[in-house]
Amino acid sequence: MGRVSRRSAAGLLVGLLTTTAALAGCGGGDPGDGPVTLRFVWWGNEDRAGVTKAAVDEFQRRNPDIRVETEYSGYDAYFQKLSTQVAGGAGPDLLQLDRATLGEYASRNVLAELDEYAGKSLKVDKIPANLLEGGKVDGKQYSVAAGATTQVLVFDPTHFEAAGAKVPTAPGEKWTWAEFADAMGKVGAAGTVAGTTDFGWAVDWFEVWLRQHDKQLYTPEGELGFTVEDLTEYWEMIGALRPGKGVSPAEVTTKMDGSVQNSGIVTKQAASEIGYDSTITGYFGAFGPNLKLAPLPSDVAESGMAALPPVSFAVARRSEHKEAAVKLLDFLLNDPEAGKLLGASRGVPPNQDIRAQVCAGSTAASKAVCDYEEAQKDKIGPAFGAWPTGSSAVKRDFQRTYDDVIFNRVGVAEAAARVVQDAEQSLGS
Amino acid sequence: MTQSVLTRPPARDDPPPTPSRGRRRRGQGVAYLFLSPWIVGAVLLTIGPMAASLYLSFTDYDLFDAPDWVGVDNYVTMFTGDERFWHAAWTTTKYVLFSVPLKLALALAVALLLNRPRRGVGLYRSAFYAPSLLGASVSVALAWRALFSTDGTVDSALAWLGIDTGGWVDQPQYALLTLVALAAWQFGAPMVIFLAGLKQVPRELYEAAAIDGAGPARRFFSVTLPMLSPVILFNLVLETINAFQAFTGAFVVSSGRGGPSDSTLLYPLYLYQRGFTDFRMGYASAMAWVLLVVVALLTALVFRSSKRWVFYAGEDR
Repeated sequence: MGRVSRRSAAGLLVGLLTTTAALAGCGGGDPGDGPVTLRFVWWGNEDRAGVTKAAVDEFQRRNPDIRVETEYSGYDAYFQKLSTQVAGGAGPDLLQLDRATLGEYASRNVLAELDEYAGKSLKVDKIPANLLEGGKVDGKQYSVAAGATTQVLVFDPTHFEAAGAKVPTAPGEKWTWAEFADAMGKVGAAGTVAGTTDFGWAVDWFEVWLRQHDKQLYTPEGELGFTVEDLTEYWEMIGALRPGKGVSPAEVTTKMDGSVQNSGIVTKQAASEIGYDSTITGYFGAFGPNLKLAPLPSDVAESGMAALPPVSFAVARRSEHKEAAVKLLDFLLNDPEAGKLLGASRGVPPNQDIRAQVCAGSTAASKAVCDYEEAQKDKIGPAFGAWPTGSSAVKRDFQRTYDDVIFNRVGVAEAAARVVQDAEQSLGS
Repeated sequence: MTQSVLTRPPARDDPPPTPSRGRRRRGQGVAYLFLSPWIVGAVLLTIGPMAASLYLSFTDYDLFDAPDWVGVDNYVTMFTGDERFWHAAWTTTKYVLFSVPLKLALALAVALLLNRPRRGVGLYRSAFYAPSLLGASVSVALAWRALFSTDGTVDSALAWLGIDTGGWVDQPQYALLTLVALAAWQFGAPMVIFLAGLKQVPRELYEAAAIDGAGPARRFFSVTLPMLSPVILFNLVLETINAFQAFTGAFVVSSGRGGPSDSTLLYPLYLYQRGFTDFRMGYASAMAWVLLVVVALLTALVFRSSKRWVFYAGEDR
């Protein structure tokens, strides 16, 4: 490098400083004064985006000094973006999380504690205690359930009627796994579509099966609650349905990501699908109203189904406008107008008054959810515990390994062993 | 050009302090001033982040909390305890081995076609170059997914012909091939460079060869290829480096997962997953440095081998 004269060095410095100043200027602005801009992000389907937008617009109309920018995407993309933004210090103010990610984000100090707002600017008295419990990590309230949901089999009755397969829909009616397999096999044999979307990919449905066998996905201590043998038995049970088209083929199953537009039933590859009833409005939006809901099968008295917060809302710890974010959160949870707009787009509303209001005068999709919850009310158990840190990695590894199973790249027992090994590593770290 | 001003060694016959020296110094200062946008960019956007990632590669860093120094743990884990790392490295190797030669061959073939004078050749050149302009964009990868998915365009067309393969992007044995095809389709950039190279080949050589009785094939192998070999080397190095860093196609086609069954888990995609979905940025940084070293070594290897096959005009052979 050559030598630099004092004057030119000064010139360089001035150039640098002006650039820095210009950059700093972008981030300036005094919080607390004038209009506040919030960023609110969530994942979901089109229907959820539409109603959430409408609710946010209503909020802005009532609070002209708060501007809300919204962003939404599919589940995978949402968390990819969120982690990048949060790491870069450009995180949102209000965000949506699920059971697999709440613990993770709370333990990484991304979320604000909501205890100081609860009961004041954030009304929670109409929200059942078990739902609130689901938003706690280590005894502190980090999120509030955006709805209540339970597991459900959503099905297209035309295929089942054509195949002469019976699905229990009446309140209190139930079926066994053998009856389930029989019905799915009939549909698969009769028509062009598989009986049901292969449900072995999602750890969520395995959790139900485990509950029916007096086990759990995670122990309350945050350790793995099942063995290689459990998972082997479960995956083999599903695998037995594959040759007869009781469940969807591998190239359909591999695309499952929890989104409605990729789901087997919406792409017309399967006649039914296991899901959470919080996505029913999405199914109705994408498929049409000709869908019915049934409980998951069980061989024992215990249904394995539970009342869960499908998704919850949390406020970012780094948010500069926590008060405004809490205000928006409170509006989404407790305002009758917001409740009407949101309907059952994130499961049935957590606020019991709003829930009654939504269920009384609701649209076809929201009504289907309410009716189902009502019909299954005796069978839905109390909420499962929150998932521990590392569970989102477990969820991903579970699906990835299942891909290897359905494409016959690895035996079921070996795959199950790998899942357990990977999971123990993820949970331990 | 500017570099030579910067690093110019003091000329041996520089006289001791003279009035002119001050002026030269000022000239250097001005050079720095004009360079400052580049210097600022290079330091802030390239050298700084690289240094940071080198540091992070020796830490356990989850993106949110401060990094913890762990020494070479990340590197040890990578080489000894991570099956997916080796799988991703192997997948990328396959991808590079297939996509680079295919892309270069296509680029050269099309360049040869377009090198002939004919009407509207400018239009053809633009048309063939267009995919490369679009190539970096996500939209093309999305279109690719739609083309090759189950019941997509290709699947439907093949089914109509009685061939039932299912969607290629949904099956582990074909998914990587669709990515190779996507890369090969974007042959525009090397094609343009080949075309420029072809224009440089002296016409007399062809004429002389023709007079000596060389047919088109002979002319291609004995005149065109040797004369073009420096350009081939350039394209080979560039495309190899690019192929090792391929990310967009794999990310979009597999929705960021690298599936089905990890068949499209290219190294950069796995690196991304480690960093941004598993929150192991230290590990991801270590992976980035391993990639950098491997690519640098391979590039050096290609350059060394070039002595055997690259012919520079004016050399004796």
